[in-house]
Amino acid sequence: MTFQHKMAAHCESGTVAALLNHAGLTISEPLVFGISAGIFFGYFESKKFPFPTFVVRNRPGQMRTGITRRIGVRFNEKRFRNPEKGERELNRLLSMGIPVACQTDFFYMNYLPGHVRVHINVHFITIVEKRGDVYIVSDCYSPTLAELERDSLMKARFAGGSFSPRGFLFYPKSIPHIIDYHTAVWKGIKSAAFNMVKLPMPFLGVRGIRLFAKKVIDWPKLSRDVDHLSHEIMKINIFLEDQGTGGAGFRFMYATFLREASELLIDPDLLEMSKRIMEIGDRWREISLFAARIGKRRDLGPERLKELSELIHARADAEELFFSDLLKLSKTKL
Amino acid sequence: MNTILNDGLKKEIKLLIMEVLNINDVKPDEVGNDDSLFGEGNTLGLDSIDALEIVMALQEKYGVRIDDKNQSRFILKSITTIAEFIEKNRTL
Repeated sequence: MTFQHKMAAHCESGTVAALLNHAGLTISEPLVFGISAGIFFGYFESKKFPFPTFVVRNRPGQMRTGITRRIGVRFNEKRFRNPEKGERELNRLLSMGIPVACQTDFFYMNYLPGHVRVHINVHFITIVEKRGDVYIVSDCYSPTLAELERDSLMKARFAGGSFSPRGFLFYPKSIPHIIDYHTAVWKGIKSAAFNMVKLPMPFLGVRGIRLFAKKVIDWPKLSRDVDHLSHEIMKINIFLEDQGTGGAGFRFMYATFLREASELLIDPDLLEMSKRIMEIGDRWREISLFAARIGKRRDLGPERLKELSELIHARADAEELFFSDLLKLSKTKL
Repeated sequence: MNTILNDGLKKEIKLLIMEVLNINDVKPDEVGNDDSLFGEGNTLGLDSIDALEIVMALQEKYGVRIDDKNQSRFILKSITTIAEFIEKNRTL
């Protein structure tokens, strides 16, 4: 069967959805994202990072493991210490006509424009075919199927550094005949809501958003100069809008998930919650724009950063209410 | 598609973009309907921050949502593509 290439907002949820659809299970990217409890927030300061950073989704790989656990699909998964073995296994699967998802370093995806490619070891693509020394790649960020030379793919699959892929590949092994979507959806929702409001660590979930709001005021002390500070402030916009989040730090994708789940389960409560998180996403987008504007203009005095901090605090308040309500609701549905 | 209505809409979009981005040194007629809006060398030479401003302004004025970057790359290609998207999806 021909692999249907489709663009997606995010590489991991898009790749998992594409593989499942190819295997015969009709499921959208937002449903994969929501059922796997993809939405999250974490603010991190560590000696390992040159500057504080934040994430707006769960850990790489958890979209696959979450969907596996909740809907009962099974994937074959392999990592390789030896690149040659990793290459042989990929070629073997492709020769059998099996499209295979690979974890890669995004930098080597040279069919995409140079200015967007950075070294990130958790980019997922699907390899659909091998033609001589060239692989045919379905990448969610490319409008069409792309070609990638063998050398680039090898470098991408066996890049070093944090989250190094070590040739990781996966493909569906089995799809259940019957899926209990009610339980899958609500367990996914319960897990995401719990992670947002109940985790005790001060840097995770809503607490992480508050910490971000508090700490951003002190970012000038951590910056080398105004150019550095401007760059870091503008990265807020990049992390929320540019890095395959589907907009507003995945909040819009979560809203789409809740809307689609509402239609699937015929549950108006989910539609109501979808509207609420969409509204929250709109306000996150205002933060993106605010950060981008003040960063671009180098308008980064204490008053501006205080304003930015207040906007982020307001998102923490809104998300605390939203995810607390969602958690309560999930308990009545399961 | 109704061409007269569409031409009116295209002009409206140009004015909206110029107002939102505070562009005073270019007249609406200087921007071709099919000109690329982004990148150096184009009449407006917009960047990704400008794109976000336009997305939010279009949502407010026409009730159209452009959630993700992949989508906006195609919709915000030119005045014509924006107008076509609005005509298909507007709620206001």
